[in-house]
Amino acid sequence: MDERLVPRGLVRAPLSRFLLWLVPWAALLGVGLYAAYLCLAVGLNQTNMDNRFAFGLWIYLDLTVIALGAGAFFTGFLLYVMKKRELAAVINSAVVIGFICYSGAVAILAIDVGQPLRFWFTFWHPNVHSMLTEVTFCLTCYLTILAIEYLPLVLKNRQLKKRPSMLLFEFELHKVMAVFALVGTVLSFFHQGSLGGLYGVLQGRPFAFRESLAAWPSTFFLFILSAAAVGPSFVLATTWVVSKVSGRPLVKPEVFDLLARVSGSLLVVYVLAKTVDTLVWINHTSFQLGVHPARFYDFAPFGTWALFAEIVLLGLVPALLLVLPRTRRDPRILVPAAFLACAGVATNRFVMTVQTLALPTLAFDPFLSYTPSWQEVASFLAVLAYGVILYSLSFRYLNLFPQERELAAASEV
Amino acid sequence: MFPWSPEFAWDAYHVVFFGALYSVLATVAGSLALAAWRARRDARDGRAPAIAWHGAFEELPVSARACRHQLTGEAPGRACENGFDCRHCPEHERLEGLRRAQAAGQPEHFGFDLPLDRLYHRGHTWVRPEPDGAVTVGLDDFARRLVGTPEGVELPEPGTRLETNGPAGHLTARGNEVRVLSPVDGTVVETRGDGAAFTLRVDPGGVADLRHLLSGDEARAWALRELERLQRALGPAEVGAALADGGELVADVGSALPRDRYDALLGDMLLEP
Repeated sequence: MDERLVPRGLVRAPLSRFLLWLVPWAALLGVGLYAAYLCLAVGLNQTNMDNRFAFGLWIYLDLTVIALGAGAFFTGFLLYVMKKRELAAVINSAVVIGFICYSGAVAILAIDVGQPLRFWFTFWHPNVHSMLTEVTFCLTCYLTILAIEYLPLVLKNRQLKKRPSMLLFEFELHKVMAVFALVGTVLSFFHQGSLGGLYGVLQGRPFAFRESLAAWPSTFFLFILSAAAVGPSFVLATTWVVSKVSGRPLVKPEVFDLLARVSGSLLVVYVLAKTVDTLVWINHTSFQLGVHPARFYDFAPFGTWALFAEIVLLGLVPALLLVLPRTRRDPRILVPAAFLACAGVATNRFVMTVQTLALPTLAFDPFLSYTPSWQEVASFLAVLAYGVILYSLSFRYLNLFPQERELAAASEV
Repeated sequence: MFPWSPEFAWDAYHVVFFGALYSVLATVAGSLALAAWRARRDARDGRAPAIAWHGAFEELPVSARACRHQLTGEAPGRACENGFDCRHCPEHERLEGLRRAQAAGQPEHFGFDLPLDRLYHRGHTWVRPEPDGAVTVGLDDFARRLVGTPEGVELPEPGTRLETNGPAGHLTARGNEVRVLSPVDGTVVETRGDGAAFTLRVDPGGVADLRHLLSGDEARAWALRELERLQRALGPAEVGAALADGGELVADVGSALPRDRYDALLGDMLLEP
């Protein structure tokens, strides 16, 4: 029924099976939208956050998807600016993933901040001393750029490109894409950094506070580095998942190899920087703030295992697996290593968001615990469902992987 | 907030924040406007067919982009980078000079007709110069067997300007649309024939430059390569072309294929991926 919309030569499941696949995700999205409505209409009392535990599941989700979505800007940067032509095989998918991650993050932020009709306040009455203002500016600008980068993919749809106006606009837009890639890279660098810096300046939270390098706390640089490092791993992992779900080879092994090499090399640098930062924080910063670092790990469930898991198990281990040619070239190791790297950045964002707020800061403070309400969880899952739906539609109707046809033909010979 | 808003202060924070924001917005808007302006200019200059071909050519697999000099042995492994328009290829003249006469024993039979009194375009159209300076354009026998009896044929009206590698018509075969590439530049004078057996009489407006078209031994070598591509595309999974393959191409290839495979095959062979 919809064959005319499917790119020529790509084999896709029958429409009925595709719709069946979408049904549970649509249901999840529906529940999430209802939860979001409750939060916006009734208020944030629908959540289990309060004035002391003001950052919860939503901010954790935001930070994680923004870090993982960095694959879009970093792949674009490597392709258009560093001229790594091999990455043309995944750039379309990376852009879609980036768009999903950033639009999902903005949607969740809109629910968290509330009063969506007053979104323009942040531009009209900004607190120019706040890193959050920079984050807001960068997020909205970068989302606009991602939408512009997504547009040529849509215009290249089999039916749309028959219209000369669409074809010509897509062609000319493609020619200026390097400008968008470059601006996107700058924006993404800055807001990743500002999100990290946001924690690093919390002097009243010794667990998160970090000393400054130049004008910025070290977390500013660590967030940038970790996002750039895991972005390619996330592109690799999602490409592998889509390949398995669709049962089609999508990119050549060289592409995975390049993504893994870039991701692994940056992860090594990140783990090194994170280790130095942690040592400085343990041996200097926390004492200066009057807290013995061991105290941070006195409160279950956040023992030193969390630190070990974040830096070694989900940092150093995948970094080495991805950077060493022997392990990188074995798909049984490559893909789990990419997933571990993604889990590492998710753990880092969890630690910075949730552990920071849970730990007591004064002698009489209790250890705070927080469990998200169903509304929070449903909104969280709605972003996942939205992502799956948009990606599925894009995969079906747009040519996300230019090597797919060639690889399918080769696998049939 | 704008610099003239009451809340705006001329301090470093406001200048840096808003300077950066407006610079980004101006860059984004400027780039978008530039793309839109150029697209409008392209439309005005009639560049849509050339751009469509450029996009299609970029998407062709390497196997479909073999240089004509690869087919005849002067440049093994060389892929075309010029959209099959050898008139603008810096290497064509040099490689043409390396051409040696083909040894006897070139195949004469391909399982479809390949009359050598005409020139062939890589998109499976042929061109025959006429004594009066006009040229006749048609679909070759290979393509006609591919499309069978199309249920829809859209041909350019007399007076329409054709461009090499631009559209010279559209066919609908078993519900699948495919465009036919024009092998020449010129103006359509007359259309004749029915279905896939159509011909166009084209006035090239002077002496037609046909250097990009294939003839004689080159056409034979190309026909063999096309058969090989077809066999690869049609062959059962994990087999591909086999020694036992041969015989004559059926008159309606589409009748033997499921729709999605047929659609892909049309795109592959008629260079519209």
